[in-house]
Amino acid sequence: MTGETRADAVYVPKDWWLRRRTWTYVGRYAAAIVITLLFLFPVYWIFIMAFKTPEEVFASPPIWYPAQIQFKTFAVLFRDGDVGTIGNSLITAGVSTVLAMFFGTIAAYSLARFRTGGENLAIWIISQRMIPPIVIIFPVFLVYVFFGWVDTFQGLILLYTAFNLPYVTWMMRGYIEDIPIELEQSALVDGWSRWQVLLRVVFPMARAGLFATAVFTFIFAWNDFIFALVLTRVEITTYPVQVTSFFGQQQTFWAKIGAMSILGTLPIFFAVALFQRYLVRGISLGAIKG
Amino acid sequence: MRLKVPLAGLLAAGLLFAAGSPATAQSAADRAVEAAKKYAGTTLNITWEAGLQSLDPLNFSGPMWEELTGIKINVIEIPINELFTKTLAEHRARTGAFDMLNVVPAWMPDLAAAGALEPLDDFIDKFGYRDELQDIAPVYRDNQMTFRGKIYGLPDDGDVLIMYYRKDLFGDPANQSAFKSRFGYDLAPPTTWAQFRDISQYFTEKFAPDLYGSAMMRSAGLIHYFYEERFRVEGGKFFDADTMKAQIGNDIAVSVLEGMIDEHQFMPPGVEGWGPIEVLNAWLAGDLAMMGWWPPPGRWSAGYGTDTDALSWLPKSKVAGKVGYALPPGGTPQLAAGFLLSVSADSKNKEAAYLFAQWLNSKEISLKRVQLPFALRDPFRISHFESAEYKALWPAASDYLATLKSAAESGLLDLSIRNTFAYEDALTRAITASFGGADPREALNKAAKEWDDITKRVGVEKQREAYLDWASKPNAYPKR
Amino acid sequence: MTVSTKIAAGLFGKRVDAFTDRNFKYLLIAPAIFILLLIGIFPLINLVVASFQDITILGEDKSFQGLLNYKRLFSDARMWESLLHTVLFMAVALPIELLLGTVMALLLLEKMWGRQIFIALLIIPTVIAPIVAGATWRLMFDNRFGPINQVLGWFKGEPVNIVWIVNSSYVWAAILATEVWQWTPFMFLILLAGFSNVDRTQVEAAQIDGASNLRIFFKIVIPAIRPVLAIALLIRALDLFRLFDIVWALTRGGPGTMTETISTFTYVKGFEQFDTSYTSAVAIVVVVLLSIAVIFALRRVEIAR
Repeated sequence: MTGETRADAVYVPKDWWLRRRTWTYVGRYAAAIVITLLFLFPVYWIFIMAFKTPEEVFASPPIWYPAQIQFKTFAVLFRDGDVGTIGNSLITAGVSTVLAMFFGTIAAYSLARFRTGGENLAIWIISQRMIPPIVIIFPVFLVYVFFGWVDTFQGLILLYTAFNLPYVTWMMRGYIEDIPIELEQSALVDGWSRWQVLLRVVFPMARAGLFATAVFTFIFAWNDFIFALVLTRVEITTYPVQVTSFFGQQQTFWAKIGAMSILGTLPIFFAVALFQRYLVRGISLGAIKG
Repeated sequence: MRLKVPLAGLLAAGLLFAAGSPATAQSAADRAVEAAKKYAGTTLNITWEAGLQSLDPLNFSGPMWEELTGIKINVIEIPINELFTKTLAEHRARTGAFDMLNVVPAWMPDLAAAGALEPLDDFIDKFGYRDELQDIAPVYRDNQMTFRGKIYGLPDDGDVLIMYYRKDLFGDPANQSAFKSRFGYDLAPPTTWAQFRDISQYFTEKFAPDLYGSAMMRSAGLIHYFYEERFRVEGGKFFDADTMKAQIGNDIAVSVLEGMIDEHQFMPPGVEGWGPIEVLNAWLAGDLAMMGWWPPPGRWSAGYGTDTDALSWLPKSKVAGKVGYALPPGGTPQLAAGFLLSVSADSKNKEAAYLFAQWLNSKEISLKRVQLPFALRDPFRISHFESAEYKALWPAASDYLATLKSAAESGLLDLSIRNTFAYEDALTRAITASFGGADPREALNKAAKEWDDITKRVGVEKQREAYLDWASKPNAYPKR
Repeated sequence: MTVSTKIAAGLFGKRVDAFTDRNFKYLLIAPAIFILLLIGIFPLINLVVASFQDITILGEDKSFQGLLNYKRLFSDARMWESLLHTVLFMAVALPIELLLGTVMALLLLEKMWGRQIFIALLIIPTVIAPIVAGATWRLMFDNRFGPINQVLGWFKGEPVNIVWIVNSSYVWAAILATEVWQWTPFMFLILLAGFSNVDRTQVEAAQIDGASNLRIFFKIVIPAIRPVLAIALLIRALDLFRLFDIVWALTRGGPGTMTETISTFTYVKGFEQFDTSYTSAVAIVVVVLLSIAVIFALRRVEIAR
């Protein structure tokens, strides 16, 4: 970043403020490749476990790729029913996402269009998201024990719904505020009821925001470990909890951990790739409109 | 001799009659199957230690039981260090999610006192199982089964930490003379921990990095067993029976821990982080002269069953035929965990769960189970130790069984009082902290203080009663 | 926000059924508030009550015990240490992630062939379940089966046998590596978006004036992305405060209690040792401390846009 001359200063870069001279294209490209490989390597390492033979998994020094790709580990996961935990994850994450999206979006509409409760209520809602899960889960567990809700779908779904509600409300408020209000007004003039306006004008208009928010809501529930660790036993064990059950004392089943990670992670990759456009807005709590 | 058979038969028949069971010639296993048939179509949820242990009900006993009775077995795998908490948490939650339980004996009193376990005496009488219980090796039968006079679990695993050594290396004349000239006594399986150190040092200095003198498991969740054993072998007592002050910070305790850390220099690099699997891998690869482990490597070292699918992750044994079995220094091996089969007090299918346990635990079925190459259940019945079938499995199998039998006689109980898990946890943290670089004395003193705090919260009198009860058991401390 | 007030007035201006109209906005928000209270307030009451009782693994003494658990808490070094670990770790991890994220964002800011592919690949770590990330790195750090010591050995020319998750000198580095690996892409992504949105005319004007890149970066770019930066830091700080999964998979708080965070400590006390009343007291103290911090932070961060 040295050697500024007058001649340079006249040059206006096409893209941005970094001069091409300082980071040459090749250098940047090489750096990008190296960094990407570094970040992907651990993912490769755990995934490849699924395809290794047991000798290859426990080879010392470690072997970097299997001599032959084999799918036996997946067959074992299907045979032993471990894959069912992915189904449990789908149900809990899926249903809680739908519920959180619905209740969160109508609440967001209330906040966005009617300013219900003022800014304080909105802040209170988002602050609920900031309490550490361990602090939530401990009293919730005690209450659930009382109601017999441990290891039940309704218990975990309610918890995920509640945990995601602040996020959905907050995000959807932003998306709804982006929608021009004229459509709603003219629909009201045409004699539509408020509910009709909400369901047939606002929801379709906020479609993109709804999908993007739902993806993140789903991921939070899907990736959750601590709530599921405490609240599942047998019936509704979710996939992250199942992964930890492969840490045996006599043997850690790395191949199973790898295979399970693939099954549990690939859907998320696809979802995220599909909604990449909304990713930044989603993870920044709407601070960046993206 | 010939008389013995009908006599035994008569005796058994008489016992059965007295117990009010149908006087048939059925075995306990058959009786369980017969009685369980009426539950056909139900599913039993059973907890089992995650990993290899679970292959027994998953691949062998579960499917077999389903075929016999029509009852489906759903195995819930739980890592051993969560077995206690999950079981207790489940009881607190009372969802009835578990039917049959695997319970580590040391934690049984806490679970029984909390009401999580169903007393089994009535079932045992109803299904005529008393006499077969007598066949279980005394150390398990007399120490692990009961709490306040009631039976809460069927001992189902002959866990004990024995010592394996390489006969070929110990018998090599070159090693023998070199060792003797250096240390002044004959090279043989160590009977004291000082000898253990000498031998480890000898082999490591001579052969490393191709071979190291020894390796032991050092991971949290297991390390406290090795420590408890050695502490007692050196004369340590866990508590002052009068004041109930913890003694795990005293000079014996510190020197034991320092000794363990000191020996790391003669073990493979990184041993501080090794769990069972690393130790086993190194052993089978021929990298160790001695190791402490539970019984299964005795079979695997000989190559028994290691060609099965479930064991294909084990390195091919390079030590087959070269393995000697011995008791660890001191001659009083830690029983180190083990398992009881128990019935959850919250189960909706208690009888079916019990019947499955009885069937698993019966002479007939358990003999098959302890011979499963891939499973980790180890011989625990007198009839297992004497089984001709078992002795024929590999050339040194009878030595192996003899070692297990004597280990089962002199074995030391895991500390088992009230809130045992909390004491183990505090001790474990002190040990792992020391391995991580903390000062052993400081760490142990901290743990001792934690123990005193736990005792205070449990109630000194209450804990003293539990401790004295435990300490009065024949295998709580080495007999001197 | 005056805009939405006007909008609301506009909506109310239309003649619809008066009763529905007045209650509609409350009707919409009621279920959300109900659910939040259900999961928030009732358990909180339970928590407060339990913290004054003496419920342990051994018995459920429901009588009022006064400040018993709070007294114990204030002299519990282990608890305060775990809190200290959490805060210190946050103080170390956050700047590293910020710095690395900035470098990566600058690297990929300008057009280059396949830029979108790089970005898509780089965010993968962030969307993996943290418990899987922890498991992955536990394997990576394994002395016998993991590649890290192997690779270090290649560089050093002799076998490296660092016991990462056992040795107190390395264990935090292992947790840090995992955490930084998983969450730097998060910082990267937000910063990339932030940088892209900086007003170019301002930058170009400065360039014409001959300002250096560094000067432009600190005087124009940073102030421009300050709100975005603040929200990113707040989100990550809160995540770091609840650090659990990665530590759980890697070390479970060991060796000893050297890597316990407030979350793992609470879990061990509450769900492993069933020290119910005591854990309730800990949870309350954590909520109070965190609320103070969050209120303070929210004021500064202007999350309300």
